[in-house]
Amino acid sequence: MTAVTNIQKQHVSRLTTGAQAALITVIVGAVCLVLEGIAPWLVKWPAAWELPATQWVGTFLDWFLNGIKPAARLFSDLMAYPMNWANLVLGNTPWPILIGIVTALGWYLGGLPMAALGFIGLSFVLASGYWAESMNTLALVAVSVPVALVMGGAIGILANEVPKVKTFVQAVLDIMQTVPTFAYLTPLLLLFGFGPVVGLIASAIYAAPPMARNVMLGLERVEPEIKEAAIMSGGTRFQQLFQVEIPAAATQIMVGVNQCLMAALSMVIIAAVIGGFNDIGWEVLLTMRKAQFGEALMAGLVIVVFAVVIDRMSGTLATERKRYDRRVVWAMLGFSVLFTAAFWAWLPNPSELTVLDPMADAIDGGLTAFTQANGPWLDALKNNSLFYVLLPLRIGLDQAVLPFTWGFTWTPAMSYGLFAASAAIALLMTWRGHLTGGLIVLILIGMLETGIANLPWPFVLTGAAALGWVAGGWRLAALSVGLLCTILVSGLWERALLSLYLSGAAVFSCAVMGGLIGLASAVWSPIWKVVRPICDMLQTIPLFVFLIPVLMVFQIGEFSAFLAICAYAIVPMIRYTRHGLVNTPEEMMEAAISSGATEWQIMRDVRAPYAAPTILLGLNQTILYAFAMLVIAALIGTTGLGQSIYLALGQADVGLGISAGAAMAILALIADRMVQGFAEERRKALGL
Amino acid sequence: MTDANTPAIACRNLWQVFGPGADKALTDALSRSGNDADQAAKELRENGFIPAVQDANFEVREGELFVIMGLSGSGKSTLIRCISQLLPGSGGEIHVDGENVIGASKRALTELRRKKLGMVFQHFGLFPHMTVAENVAYPLRVQGVGKKERLARAQEVISLVGLEGREDSFPRQLSGGQRQRVGIARSLAVNPDIWFLDEPFSALDPLIRRQLQDEFLRIQATLKKSIVFITHDIQEALKLADRIAIMRDGKIVQIGTPTDIVLRPVDDYVREFSKDVAKGQHAKVASVMRDESECGPDDPGLTTAMTLDAALAHCMELYEPVPVRDADGKVVGTVHPSDLAAALQVDDA
Repeated sequence: MTAVTNIQKQHVSRLTTGAQAALITVIVGAVCLVLEGIAPWLVKWPAAWELPATQWVGTFLDWFLNGIKPAARLFSDLMAYPMNWANLVLGNTPWPILIGIVTALGWYLGGLPMAALGFIGLSFVLASGYWAESMNTLALVAVSVPVALVMGGAIGILANEVPKVKTFVQAVLDIMQTVPTFAYLTPLLLLFGFGPVVGLIASAIYAAPPMARNVMLGLERVEPEIKEAAIMSGGTRFQQLFQVEIPAAATQIMVGVNQCLMAALSMVIIAAVIGGFNDIGWEVLLTMRKAQFGEALMAGLVIVVFAVVIDRMSGTLATERKRYDRRVVWAMLGFSVLFTAAFWAWLPNPSELTVLDPMADAIDGGLTAFTQANGPWLDALKNNSLFYVLLPLRIGLDQAVLPFTWGFTWTPAMSYGLFAASAAIALLMTWRGHLTGGLIVLILIGMLETGIANLPWPFVLTGAAALGWVAGGWRLAALSVGLLCTILVSGLWERALLSLYLSGAAVFSCAVMGGLIGLASAVWSPIWKVVRPICDMLQTIPLFVFLIPVLMVFQIGEFSAFLAICAYAIVPMIRYTRHGLVNTPEEMMEAAISSGATEWQIMRDVRAPYAAPTILLGLNQTILYAFAMLVIAALIGTTGLGQSIYLALGQADVGLGISAGAAMAILALIADRMVQGFAEERRKALGL
Repeated sequence: MTDANTPAIACRNLWQVFGPGADKALTDALSRSGNDADQAAKELRENGFIPAVQDANFEVREGELFVIMGLSGSGKSTLIRCISQLLPGSGGEIHVDGENVIGASKRALTELRRKKLGMVFQHFGLFPHMTVAENVAYPLRVQGVGKKERLARAQEVISLVGLEGREDSFPRQLSGGQRQRVGIARSLAVNPDIWFLDEPFSALDPLIRRQLQDEFLRIQATLKKSIVFITHDIQEALKLADRIAIMRDGKIVQIGTPTDIVLRPVDDYVREFSKDVAKGQHAKVASVMRDESECGPDDPGLTTAMTLDAALAHCMELYEPVPVRDADGKVVGTVHPSDLAAALQVDDA
């Protein structure tokens, strides 16, 4: 007997951290399952225990925002001037001159390809008949970007100059990046009232962090010897900074300018949800609501064109570029002016152009025909995914399995059978030496039976703590549990779980699909040639536009939201997987080949382990992207925090908006830290 | 320009310790150990601090080429950054032209750098967004010198380093050797009295390195700067130096002329360095000369500045002491050929 306990003791002490964490989670989960019947508060946090945190936040913010309202209103009045000017200028400049300017700019920045891109892009905008709306959008971007550049640049320089501020700034920037876009809008709405200025300020705030980040990064990465050379040349700090360090960091700063432009454009379009300004984002929203999908797609394409033109042109700033002949620039500008003057009387009003209307109609018609022809098939796809995958994940097999979908009723006996089967698998795996794996199987099957939305809260907290512990030690575990508890007591728990379920499902699909596509691209380069431009395109398109195609085919609903999230979030997974696999050092490959490894063995034993940290970082990005899109997807039907944020915006409920936004940021933050922790551990293990 | 007796640079008990609150920790450690540097350094290390420079004491004379040599991590780069005040220094004094620069105001330091100091970096430290001429003229630009004037001066130094015709190139368009020429030109633009060179030739190919060493000696022969030169290459140190300081783990273990280092190493560490050095190429006849006047019949024409190799070649078949003359041809002592051979003996240990 003593011998047996001794062996067991030895066995327990030999458990790895992962196995210990998994074991504890399994025990807590099992206890919760057993006690479910007699203690319902284990599953559902009782409303009586909730703190009215949302209201507190609301009251405090109302008070605070009212306090700074006069200053804010003054600012907004001031911002109205440049915005009106920009509107006036862009709205009244004859379109041939604007097309000429953009084409000439394209030539100046990137020669013929960029000039052609600018010309064709703007011509498309003109032909679409959305010229006036586009100019309104552009005016917003034109004002918000300089504001964001100055703010971001100043913050970046300040953080660089005052080391004490740096950690603080970095933390704030991290949080700002995880707080969903709509959450910004609610307090701004309260501060500035309805109208375009809110969109302007929101976009300036949203676009400033990438600039600040890149300025900090750029200044940090200036070679120490270049900084020292500036000191030894006898420059004052001001001279060192502005004559040497900032110019030397120009490339990185230009990356910041590019990201700042894209973020501003993206936010300006999202801000259209508030309305009050006749811009292109509003047009998309309007046509979508009226189910005029052809026109919505057309307007969406206009946005995409702007995004691509702005991105590619500003992208050339960050690369070393050739100087192109200035004379061509002047010739283009001159021609556009002459053209305008010569045909002044015949220039069509761009808003009345209907060149592409037949196309929009054709799309509408084609779409109707398509959905009618393939209706059963599409419905089957949608329903099958919903009933057999998404719903069980959400509410568990015990509730999702109904006679009318699955053909039979789920009985407790089936639950027992399932648990018995999973326990058998776990035992088998333990016997083969994979204790942690077995326990994880047990956990996953338990989660599937219960459903993510119905998980008992002690189990979620323990699971988070266990994951945090394995990924980054007790600090991360404590942080995760602490933050999750704030969600728990604030009464947003149920919605948080719903968000977790949908983004979790999306992230899982993206990880599998993206991983496979990345693998294929790494193995066979022709695939990458096709995949790469698609990835580029998907990353350039403002989030909003993803909604149009899924809506066209699958209508409003959870499945459409799921698809939109996947379409956006899959890109980093593909990119990082391929990048990690392709960048295995040549020497390691050669060593493996000369050891006589086959292609597949090299992939499994050398390239995949080496790429693991990079792939994990890709997963991390995918998670953050999924959370970002979750809120936008609320527009077309999701439940959970995204919906709360969107509703709060509609009701100008600052408390709910900010709390839900914070809850979302918390989920994203925890996921981010955990994946980073795992990636870090892998990197350390590889000695990178 | 200054009193001939004042050294260009003088370091007294100079320390550079890294770690949070290092300055105070150093003061405490020194007072506890009764100013015993080794004891204090040991204590600092045990408490997690890094004493990168420990109790450095040396002087660089006016017009002297002073080389600091050591392996990577020995603290030589830290030492030169202390002297140039790129690092603040944790304790001790650094006198530049008789004035202590530790604790000097920012403005005073800027002024000092604008007028008296020039520095060359291992990886060149060229400004990537400026042309060669703009790089070289930059130290003048920060002082507010007019464009025409500073470009004219830049042209002078660019010619001095042999880069005419590349004035309008950008650093990325130059080879490594050319880049370092720009670095040298820039450090000379304000015609400084004191010249810091931090491993200036280490990043270059051996051939280019030798070429630049020779040119450096040529430039120094005309300019006569007071120089602190950092290197990890014993050959380079012996070739260039008037005097060499050898560093190990933050401590200066020996200061001496190239001959001293080669023939009279203070410990095994220094001996290890000079092991692979062909001593005969570096040690001079003066180092084995005796004051006796008694001589054999032969006079092969040895001089004090001759290397041992050359001297030995002259007395291959001689066994009696021979006279040695100084630069003016006056006999100043004698050398026994067997002493020459003995000095060249490679240690087998």
